[in-house]
Amino acid sequence: MADKMQLCNISANNFEQCTKCSICTTVCPVAAVTTDYPGPKQAGPDGERYRLKDPAYYDKMLKLCLNCKRCEVACPSGVHIADIIQRARMKAGEGKRASLRDTMLANTDLLGTVANLVAPVANAALGLKPTKLVMDSVMAIDKHRTFPAYSRTKFETWFKRHAADSQEAYPHHVSYFHGCYVNYNFPKLGQDLVKLMNAVGYGVHLLDKEQCCGVALIANGLYKQAKRQGNVNATSIRHAVKDERHTVLTTSSSCTFNLRDEYPAVLGIDTSDVRDSIMLATRFLYRLVEDGDIKLIFKQDYKHRVAYHTACHMQRMGWHLYSIEMLRMIPGLDLVVLDQECCGISGTYGFKKENYERSQAIGSTLFKQIEQARVEVVATDCETCKWQIEMSTGVPVENPVSILADALDVEATRKANGVKD
Amino acid sequence: MRMDTVIMGGGLSGLVCGIALAKRGQRVAIVTTGQSTLLFNGGSMELLGCVDGKAVTSPVDAVAALPEEHPYRKIGAERIADLAGQAKSLLSDAGIQMEGTATANHWRVTPMGVAKPAWLTLKSHLRIDDLDKLPCKRLALMCVKGFFDEPNGMLANGLREMGFDVEMIEFTTDDITALRRSPSEMRASSLAKHLLSNSSLQRVADEINRHAGNADVVLLPNVLADEDSYETLQSMVNKPLRQVATLPPAVAGNRMQSLLRHYFQMLGGTYLMGDTAVGGTLDGARLVSITTAKLGDMPLKADEFVLATGSFISRGLVADYERVYEPILDLDVDADADREQWTRFGILEPQAYSRYGVKTDGDLRCIKQGKTIHNLRAIGSVLSGHDAIKMGDGTGVSLLTALAATQSILEK
Repeated sequence: MADKMQLCNISANNFEQCTKCSICTTVCPVAAVTTDYPGPKQAGPDGERYRLKDPAYYDKMLKLCLNCKRCEVACPSGVHIADIIQRARMKAGEGKRASLRDTMLANTDLLGTVANLVAPVANAALGLKPTKLVMDSVMAIDKHRTFPAYSRTKFETWFKRHAADSQEAYPHHVSYFHGCYVNYNFPKLGQDLVKLMNAVGYGVHLLDKEQCCGVALIANGLYKQAKRQGNVNATSIRHAVKDERHTVLTTSSSCTFNLRDEYPAVLGIDTSDVRDSIMLATRFLYRLVEDGDIKLIFKQDYKHRVAYHTACHMQRMGWHLYSIEMLRMIPGLDLVVLDQECCGISGTYGFKKENYERSQAIGSTLFKQIEQARVEVVATDCETCKWQIEMSTGVPVENPVSILADALDVEATRKANGVKD
Repeated sequence: MRMDTVIMGGGLSGLVCGIALAKRGQRVAIVTTGQSTLLFNGGSMELLGCVDGKAVTSPVDAVAALPEEHPYRKIGAERIADLAGQAKSLLSDAGIQMEGTATANHWRVTPMGVAKPAWLTLKSHLRIDDLDKLPCKRLALMCVKGFFDEPNGMLANGLREMGFDVEMIEFTTDDITALRRSPSEMRASSLAKHLLSNSSLQRVADEINRHAGNADVVLLPNVLADEDSYETLQSMVNKPLRQVATLPPAVAGNRMQSLLRHYFQMLGGTYLMGDTAVGGTLDGARLVSITTAKLGDMPLKADEFVLATGSFISRGLVADYERVYEPILDLDVDADADREQWTRFGILEPQAYSRYGVKTDGDLRCIKQGKTIHNLRAIGSVLSGHDAIKMGDGTGVSLLTALAATQSILEK
């Protein structure tokens, strides 16, 4: 009987798996705060049936989707709801030009390169009230937002000057996809990773050629450019994995999710042969500790109360447990795991004037939780969550890698792992 | 990653088991594909509602007459009262306040207007102790204009058949009218999110007070997000207010799920939502680890494992054209080999498939190719031998088997 019947689903987006249970609509952070958005079930599987019939059924309100993937995480039937919505947006946007504002927000690396050159000026100017008002009215970038400060020296420059030469001496090696945030805004996170990996005997190397992973390009409809850059990254990663036998480490959950899952799902770039070798540093380190390959020794006097926030893409990847368990290894760290709620920023979404209020409303539950947790620091693996939480709660936010590096007794750890100075 | 216990499935049974173990200091991880069928729960728990088509008065007394393969008989009829008490207090610890007793069923009312025997019902919901002695006579049924999730006519007719006088009052407020801009989302869960502020609730209260003139009790579909919203609205309304279940996904079930999950995480439990157990490694009669879709080549290792993956709707059981099977470990199942026996004509007729599930020994341990796996127990809807729809024992089996398995694990 079986061989005569269709056993496999033949749809590209598996929307036939949808049982119409509507559970996705109960977790959608956008539908919770606005009636303009039809909700994931209607925007995704239901709407797709109409769009297949006639593209004119495309609802422009699909642009309100955060692509946070919470609908996919909640779906009991494994429907790729957010992927369906992203592809519908992509199809509807074909041949259309993105606005100047969206292009600027999306090109995190181009903006970064320019801003690094004039960092003191750029930071001052971007923080000035008149600049903010001009950006608000002319560019439609909300005036409440502060652009993350740009560093004067790029991470890549620092790495070449101060770290590159010493890496070969270590017995083991990894490559590092640092991402735009580390390169242009916050090189310290990259430096923390190098410090941590070096202490346990791993040399860190940059990829041949790294470009922006493209997560913001996808969100802003610049698919062609995203695909072009994605191909460059895929080639570099493939070289590191296949030829150098390196694992490619990351410190940003959204870059990681994009490289591993959105490249094939949205951009059609096949990374299946190297996907298992791209991972967050916390996952890589957890395995080394668990297998007894490395030892981490932490400072005796480290004492902090920290809350962990699971970024949406982190939850979609299912890897928050590694960051949480790594933080739990620090004896002096009192950890509070927050309930998983979206912070509302979703990359560049919250920077747009038209989304500002929605963005803050979405995050309000999380902000309340953070205030009630009475912590010194919030830990999260996503840089845009960091900006949003710092702006909205005033509590400083750190990547778990930075917290680990800060708590680490470097000398003792190097010694315990037999690393020579 | 190594845990004391790994639970596959994060619905009612998985969470309750996880909470009970974490409370005793165990390191527990729960892997769950997505949200569970607890989100379909309208606000009541059933222990045992019907046996041979007849309503059960006292679940505790009726258990002894169940067939031997029923999960309650495996746990032991004499333990039911004690475990039921433990379940009620665990729910209360998580913030779920319910009323009822295991020795006397009460009646809950379905959205279709049918009275069904129930063990526990949320304090804010309509509950009838005795159908021959109704708690009140006149009901004002508040019908939200444009609302999808309550078949008001059927509900009203059902209540009238029980003997109530029902006045149907259609109403709306500015907040609710604004929601109708998105016609596909005029659902209970959306309303709950938009009826949180005191001013929104006051507008609902104004409508109730204006129209519910001579009613004894005001009925509102379950659209109030939590206990606080209910208390606030009740304080604004000058008559007793009760909620009635809506069509799923239900606000009450959603709230129960998030309270249980919050409590589990507060106790230090690891909840991996959106991940799926895809296989396991056996060493003789023991399960060593399970692999999941997201954790990839880093399996979850543990001393004890619990299978709480639910029935067909949650994919804890799968039926293809040839057989019924358990998809993670291909455990032995109790199911008819002949496909013709799985179903019978008439959707409301008793269906054989609803009793299918994994085979277990007297200690709820799973069996593969005839051999018992000593550290893997099955709990909840994935178990064979019960029938949530026809016997009204689904939530009870989930809660009680979870607690029984917890005891076995802790006694080891």
